Amino acid sequence: MIQGRMRVGDFDVRAWSGGSGPPLVYLHGFEQHPGDAPYLRRLAETHHVLAPEHPGFGASAGFDRLTDLQDLILYYRALIESWNQGPVDLIGHCLGGMFAAELAILAPTLVRRLILVDPYGLWLEDEPLPDPFLLGPPALAAVKWRDPAHAARETSAFDPDQGDTAAEFRTMNLTAASKFMWPIPDRGLARRLPYLTTPTLVIHGAADGLTPPSYQRAWAAALPNARTALIDEAGHLPMVEAEDAFIGLVETFLE
Amino acid sequence: MKFHWFAEATYPHLPDDFPQKGLSSWVSTPPALMDPVKVGETYRMFIRLMQQADRDGFDGLAVNEHHQTPFAMTPSPNLLAASLASTTENAAILIIGDSLALYNPPTRVAEEMAYLDCVSGGRVIAGFVFGTPMDSVFAYGNPPPELRDRFHEARKLILRAWEAKEPFAFNGKYTQLRYVNCWPRPIQARPPIWVPGSGSLETWDLVIDEDYCYGHLSFSGLHSAKPMVDAYWEYVAARGGDMNPHRMAFTQLICCAATDAEAEAKYYEAVRYFYRMNTLDPKFTMAPGYTTIRSQQAMAARMQGAPNLRPEDRIRAAKGEMSFWEYDEKGYIIAGTPRRVRQRVRELATDLHIGQLIGCLHMGNLAEETAAENTHLFGTQVIPHLRDLWADQPDHWTPPISQQRIAARAQAALEAAE
Repeated sequence: MIQGRMRVGDFDVRAWSGGSGPPLVYLHGFEQHPGDAPYLRRLAETHHVLAPEHPGFGASAGFDRLTDLQDLILYYRALIESWNQGPVDLIGHCLGGMFAAELAILAPTLVRRLILVDPYGLWLEDEPLPDPFLLGPPALAAVKWRDPAHAARETSAFDPDQGDTAAEFRTMNLTAASKFMWPIPDRGLARRLPYLTTPTLVIHGAADGLTPPSYQRAWAAALPNARTALIDEAGHLPMVEAEDAFIGLVETFLE
Repeated sequence: MKFHWFAEATYPHLPDDFPQKGLSSWVSTPPALMDPVKVGETYRMFIRLMQQADRDGFDGLAVNEHHQTPFAMTPSPNLLAASLASTTENAAILIIGDSLALYNPPTRVAEEMAYLDCVSGGRVIAGFVFGTPMDSVFAYGNPPPELRDRFHEARKLILRAWEAKEPFAFNGKYTQLRYVNCWPRPIQARPPIWVPGSGSLETWDLVIDEDYCYGHLSFSGLHSAKPMVDAYWEYVAARGGDMNPHRMAFTQLICCAATDAEAEAKYYEAVRYFYRMNTLDPKFTMAPGYTTIRSQQAMAARMQGAPNLRPEDRIRAAKGEMSFWEYDEKGYIIAGTPRRVRQRVRELATDLHIGQLIGCLHMGNLAEETAAENTHLFGTQVIPHLRDLWADQPDHWTPPISQQRIAARAQAALEAAE
């Protein structure tokens, strides 16, 4: 995967891209872009992959240019159009799942197939999600991983050469994420899901404590035609904890 | 030099083992620990004490806003201010302040402060605050990076609502109003404006640009505040701002008594209660985006230099493990006879270059009787001896009517004494 920058409108973002084949866009979660991650390289064996870093995150500009979800989704529509690869397969993980679902609703002709991985975006009254901004490192690890020992496998776009410390990188990312997740990661997606017509797969890690698999029932109820899948050996990051199972589900669905 | 009466409206009946329970005293404190009847008694006590402070010669009565905490049960400072505006005569009603981002629409602040200014005969000081992370982003749910933007939009709306000659339309990012027309308007065309902060450079720029009074509202005293307050004045000087000490307010716990020994006997338990019951869970003190990275870096650099207060002192102070006189020595409290308190307040004000002292004359679970004595001793035997401080510099940050009335009373008292 090659790191580069993409410009849309009056600011640009960092993005990783690589591979060849049908175009596939990957949208990362609230903590960070994974950088040149093993699972992105695996996807690039069969696809032309583009993985932008969200505006306001890490080395991507645009924090002050985007106020709300609508601004962001319109930005991503323009970014994918500017990539000029035609309709794309779209994978959104975590907060990126919320973005991906919104984008498929807003721009149905731009998204061929949609995969949501442990997505944010829904909120169940009887099952409030933990507050990801309040969890200290041990508490976060406990809900994020099936096995916290797997944390070492997680890759990051953090680059000390950018001039920030790791703590500043994280603060920047969570600050940008808070626009879409604070105080409750629900910006009304449930009202719009009836307009989602793109073929969709919703994947959950069985041990995910941040967006638990019980939320899969809500996604399935809102999207009667969607497929769902559960990965037993994973928590919130199935692509990290169970890479083979994750890649297998993705490739099967996209075939 | 001006002196304002203040107390955090602390719930005084928490169980003694509260600090050992592992609970936060902010945001998530179990409501079962509170008896609303006792809360009401506590509010009435504060109203009585502040009415007395008005009679005893204080320049202002300070009320503040916090949410979801037994440390300070004042969800709307305007409510307490309303109790005082109609039952006091002289002192400024120092609202320090309304959390602008939490009022929807913010014209509510313009209206309520105008009401208070009318009822009090022009004695309101308008404090505008961002609110702590606990208040503004956890209890009230504002996305942290929006808070400053919301504050400034609200501030501009309020100022315009006070000044506009005609109804106007306001098309903001967070507030849209087709018809803004504030009734009533404040008696003071524009009340003095104070903005407290905790060291953010953005707030420093604001108070310098707008010539507001800046407040450093800590409860850790001189040594803790010294690096930040010095850095603030250096910043003001570097930017060519107004160095008038009346442009800065500072909070200080005060424990006055007839003798030093009596002070220890009467206040030690309450001082310990004040600090040790404030078991704020650190996770509620920070939220991503609440403080900009630029300010975080500046604060971290300043943290290096509090030479007279070690980190372990801060921990011991918070746990109630200091002796009474150690609290005093480290600056957390200023205690003792009026003569001693006078001298130490003078040193504090001179050292920090501050012209507005917000004295905390009640703290923790202090008995009302002791707080009343504290108020009386400070008002009659400390304040009059410190009036010479900064007397050569004009004070544009307290209401003129309060300045006139308090000066006239002091003169009358002097003549009566002769």
